[in-house]
Formats: sequence, C-alpha cells, structure tokens
Amino acid sequence: MTGAQAMIKCLQAEGIRKVFGYPGVAIAPFYEGLYNSDIEHVLVRQEQNAGHAASGYARLSRKPAVCVVTSGPGATNLITALATAYADSIPLVAISGQVSSELLGRDVFQEADMRGATKSFVKYCFLVKNPDDIPRVFKEAFYIASTGRKGPVLIDIPIDVQTRSLKKEFAYPDKIQIRGYKPEIRVNVAQVRKVVEAINEAKRPLICAGGGVILGNGEKIIREFCEKFNMPLVHTMMGMGVLPKKHPLNFGMLGNNGKPYANKAVSRADLLVIVGARIADRAIPKPENLLRRTVIHIDIDTAEIGKNMGPTVPLVGDVNDIFDILIKEEIRKSDPFWLEELEDIKKGTIDRRIFSDKNVNPNILVQKLSEKMDDDAIYVADVGQNQLWSADNYIMKEGRFLTTGGMGTMGYSIPAAIGAKMFAPDKQTVAVCGDGAFQMSMNELATMKVNNVDIRILIVRNGYLGLVREYQYNLYDGHYIGVKLNDWPRYDKIAEAYDLRYIECSSNEDLDSKLDEFLGSDKPCLMVCDVDFENRVK
Amino acid sequence: MKGIFTVLVENRDGVLSGISGLFARRGFNIDTLAVGETENHEISRMTITSTGDQRTIDQIEKQLNKSVDVIKVRRLSEAKSVCLEMLLAKVAYNAGNRTSLIELCQVMEAKVMKVTPKYMLVEYHSEPDNVDDFIHLIKGFGIIEIQRTGTIAMEK
Repeated sequence: MTGAQAMIKCLQAEGIRKVFGYPGVAIAPFYEGLYNSDIEHVLVRQEQNAGHAASGYARLSRKPAVCVVTSGPGATNLITALATAYADSIPLVAISGQVSSELLGRDVFQEADMRGATKSFVKYCFLVKNPDDIPRVFKEAFYIASTGRKGPVLIDIPIDVQTRSLKKEFAYPDKIQIRGYKPEIRVNVAQVRKVVEAINEAKRPLICAGGGVILGNGEKIIREFCEKFNMPLVHTMMGMGVLPKKHPLNFGMLGNNGKPYANKAVSRADLLVIVGARIADRAIPKPENLLRRTVIHIDIDTAEIGKNMGPTVPLVGDVNDIFDILIKEEIRKSDPFWLEELEDIKKGTIDRRIFSDKNVNPNILVQKLSEKMDDDAIYVADVGQNQLWSADNYIMKEGRFLTTGGMGTMGYSIPAAIGAKMFAPDKQTVAVCGDGAFQMSMNELATMKVNNVDIRILIVRNGYLGLVREYQYNLYDGHYIGVKLNDWPRYDKIAEAYDLRYIECSSNEDLDSKLDEFLGSDKPCLMVCDVDFENRVK
Repeated sequence: MKGIFTVLVENRDGVLSGISGLFARRGFNIDTLAVGETENHEISRMTITSTGDQRTIDQIEKQLNKSVDVIKVRRLSEAKSVCLEMLLAKVAYNAGNRTSLIELCQVMEAKVMKVTPKYMLVEYHSEPDNVDDFIHLIKGFGIIEIQRTGTIAMEK
C-alpha cells in the first residue's frame, strides 16, 4: 500500500465523506487515491475557500472537516483560512502536499516551509517523512483537532511519502499516545464548590456565554441551567445561539458592537460567570473594569484563564461536564428583582442611532430576513458593517449564526455557507455579505453551482468598504481613501453568468415581497439590497 | 520577577523553533535558554529563564503546557533549586597583572584552560549571579571574547 492509499484509508477510518480542495503536482498521488475511493472531492476556486468551506462544514457537523491543497502557493493560500479557524477554535484537518523530502530546504519549485509558516496559526503541524507514520499522524491529527480546545491541524506531506509504500501492514491505531497532549480534564470539585458559593452569595449574577459553549455542544445544558436557576445571560458574537433571541433570560450581545443594555447588565452584575469566552477586546474592551465584581471564568483551555484578565474563581473543563455538576447543586434562584431591573434597563435603552431614509434600512433588513427564515436556518454573516448589523439585529431562533469573530476574515460567508449547506442540505442557508466581501469570494459561486448547493446570498450594497469608511469618518475627519468600490461589478450580470435568480431591492417598502421571493426561490438566488453609505454601525 | 522553567520536550526537529516562536509571538522574554538530550534520547530538557510580571510568568507556564511537543513544565524557585551556568572567556593580561589574574581564578575556582602570550582562556561555572560577578571582575583585565551557556537548573 502506498502512502497516498494509506491517507485515504485513514480518512475513511475517521468517517470522512467529503473533502474540500484544490489539486496540484505535490498532492497528485493523494488525488489518485481519491479517484479510487468513495470520498467526494469538492473543487473550490481558491485554496483559502477550501479552508472556509471545511470550516462551515465542521461547525455544522461538530467534527473535524478536511481540506486539501498542494505545496507552495496552494498551501500558503490556505494559511488565512487556518488562522481564521484557529482564532475561532474550529476543528479542521488540513492536508498540504509538499516537495519531495530529499529536496526539502532547497527552495525548489513550489516549496514553502509550511510547518514554519503556520506554527502560530494551527494547533499542531505534522511534517510526515515516513509513510509508515501516516496512520499514527492522521489519528493524532484528528484527535488533536477535535479534543480540548478545538482547532486546525496541518499535515504537510511530501510527494515521495505519498508514493512510497508502507513497510508495515496498514493498521489504523485505536489508541492515542501523545505524551505532551492530555486534553481530558477532570473537573476540580473544590473549584466547583467555590463557584456554587460565589453564585449563592451574589445578588445580581449574570452568565456570559461565548463561542466555546457552542463548540463544546453546551447550548442545551446552559439553557437548562439558566432556566432552572432563573439566571440571566448575555453572550459574545460567537456565542449567538446559546439562547434564542426572544428567550426571557437572554439580554443580548455584549461588547462594543453589542447591545448597550447587555453592557449595562454586565456593569450592574455583581457576579459574572464567563463560559467559553476569551474576554477579547471587542467583547470586553477594558477587562480590568470587570474586577470590581466576582468573576468566574470557565474554559476548557487553561491558558485562557488569566490571559486577558485575572478571574476570581477559575474553573477549567468541558462545558457539559461542568454544568452537569452545577445543575445538580443547590443554587439559589436569581431574585426576581434582578430580572426586573434587567428588563427595565432593556426597556429604558433608547437606540439613538439615526438611519438614513434612503434605500433599505439595514436593521430592518436583518430583522425581517431572520424573522422570515426557518427556525433552524443557518445564517452566515461576513465581515464589515453587514456583520455588525447582522449580529445586532438577527432574530435567533433555534438555528445557527456563523461568522468569523476572532480573525474577521472578509470573504468567509460564501464558502462557509457552501460547506455548512453541504453538511446540512435540508437547512435553509443564507450568506449575508457586503459588496466588498462578496468580491473576495464570488469565484465560489461556481463551486456552489457545480455542486448544486442551494444557498441564498444577500449582498448589502453601499458601494463602499463601509466599516473602514466609518472608521475614517470617526478618526480621520472623513478623509475617505481606498474605500470606494465604484459601483462595480454589475451584479445582475454576475447572477446571469452563474445562472442564479437575481433580485434587487432598494426600498423598505419592497423588502417583504423581495425577501419572500428570495427565500422562496426554487433555485439559488443572489439578492442585492441597496443601503445608503451614510449609514453607520454606531 | 524572574521565572525559571524546566521543560521536558519531544526531541524532534522543529520543537526548539516552536518553543522560541511561542515566546516571540506572545511577547515573552527569553533571558537564557539551554537545551540538551536527557537520559532518554527521545526527550530533551530545556531550561528557560525569563523575566516579567506575575501574569506573564503564569502565562508562559500555561502556554508552554498547551504546546503538544511539551511533555512537562515545571516552574522552579531559585531557593529550592540548583541553578548553574558555565562561562568561557578569553581574558587579556600583561606582565604586570598576570599574577593577579591567576590569583583571581584560584579564589573563584575558575579553571585556566589555555595560556597564550596575549590571553588566558578561562572556564568558570557557578550560580548565574556569581557568573555575573566573575565577568565584572575580569572586565578589569580586558575581555577579548566571552561565551555563556545559559542557566541549567534542577529542583533540589
């Protein structure tokens, strides 16, 4: 058996049905293996999008997804997607071809030192030098990607290792032995006691849920916990979906792009239970201000505790393990006065932002769209003003809200939506992006078309890189430079080129009917909503 | 504050660059770094010393622990461990101060490894503070070249 055949065997052993990729010479033996296998290959139009599509797939399957690229530029193109997945802790196994091992380090054609280049963007990187190592390396890669704090793992594999034969008989290991990696954490009972005491001492407790809750499949248990003890909750952008928007205990998204009442709730709380959140700058710009109250920080990654803020009570472990214990403890229900106070804060917060009467109001757009979408629909928000309007207004029901919160990678929405839809073909999937981000990954419309992936794409068009423009407005006296998109391309022609239904909407009055048409269309659909460029997020 | 870490790592290519990269990326200082194989050739031991505030030193330990190639991290306290450093120095001398240099080496238990008409090559090992002092003392004679190993440390 050749190395390439062994790689296929490994993927099959991991239950991989689909890989996203872009071939080249250095990965050709693996592709020959794919040709002879039942694993489906999805050809993207640029390598970065193989990573994003795998990311969308993994976020739905909640298991590692696989992307494959060739050496050199193919591999370096993938790096942005790896960094994106790493920042959001998305489990990926990325396979990159590499030049023949005896040529490594000689700067031959299409050689790039991927291990060196990706070190700070992946959870781990393997450079395979012996075909007999392939089964162990794959087993470890899938294990590392999917356990503990999840993340991308890269397997860089020289072409000769793919073509050479294994000396030993192929056997996929069922046990893992990595001396330096022990992700199973037993919950510290003494710390749990401290958490319970702290909650019981608090008068105004508040849970802050981050993306880690979703990555740890903890939505259900957190919801049960909140409901059992009447515990109010705020969430980060990555934590959207832990509770539905209209849930009486959900007090919205915090942070400088979040709801003012969510931030007020944080400042009024005397106890904050942070679960699976990094306390990054966008959610909590000044972590030191939090220290006037008791802070319980729950995370699976020990290194997150104290990285951006020293918590009063740290608790390390899996969200389900921890809350399975906590929910059985004697915890006092939150006082009704605290929830009433939060309700009052919510009602008393007036949104003073003024939005233009011209064209479509982006807030109304996202509200109406999400209201009309299926309960379990997938909404993929890109990056820019569209992302912040989306997060601000999205009416979360029981579906998923996918976005790149950590890295903020423009162009994520279309490939990620394709990946998500490929895992969950029955779920309505909408990608929402600005006219800037759309042009970063519009090449993937071909991937979508060729593979009959029925996603809906909504472009919030204002002719500008809106968020940068807004920044220049706020900080540089409106000295706009490098932000005007000059009204190109003709989106109707793009839709025509890819045989998509095209809808354009430029007024609030038409929104209802146009959105119904958009969601109800019997084929993939591109909708452009014109939004006045004067509209700002803040 | 000072942090002394003794780190057991996989003895594989790329591991050292991974660890030094981790320090560089997160803005941690490496004051000294010494690496060598252990009795098990699959495992190397690194001694890393660093300075930083409490948060930084805590983070160094946690981030090292997170690295897949790191098998074990231990933070040592200076009081409860033996810390040693080795020094090689070419020290210039002349007829007038030759005897005092030899005397200094005798007092400090430094070894003269080679004598040339222009300099003596001296080997000295001791606790890092003593090595600092020794360097200070030989500066008076004139240092031509110097090489320190970096601290190696072990719990008592």
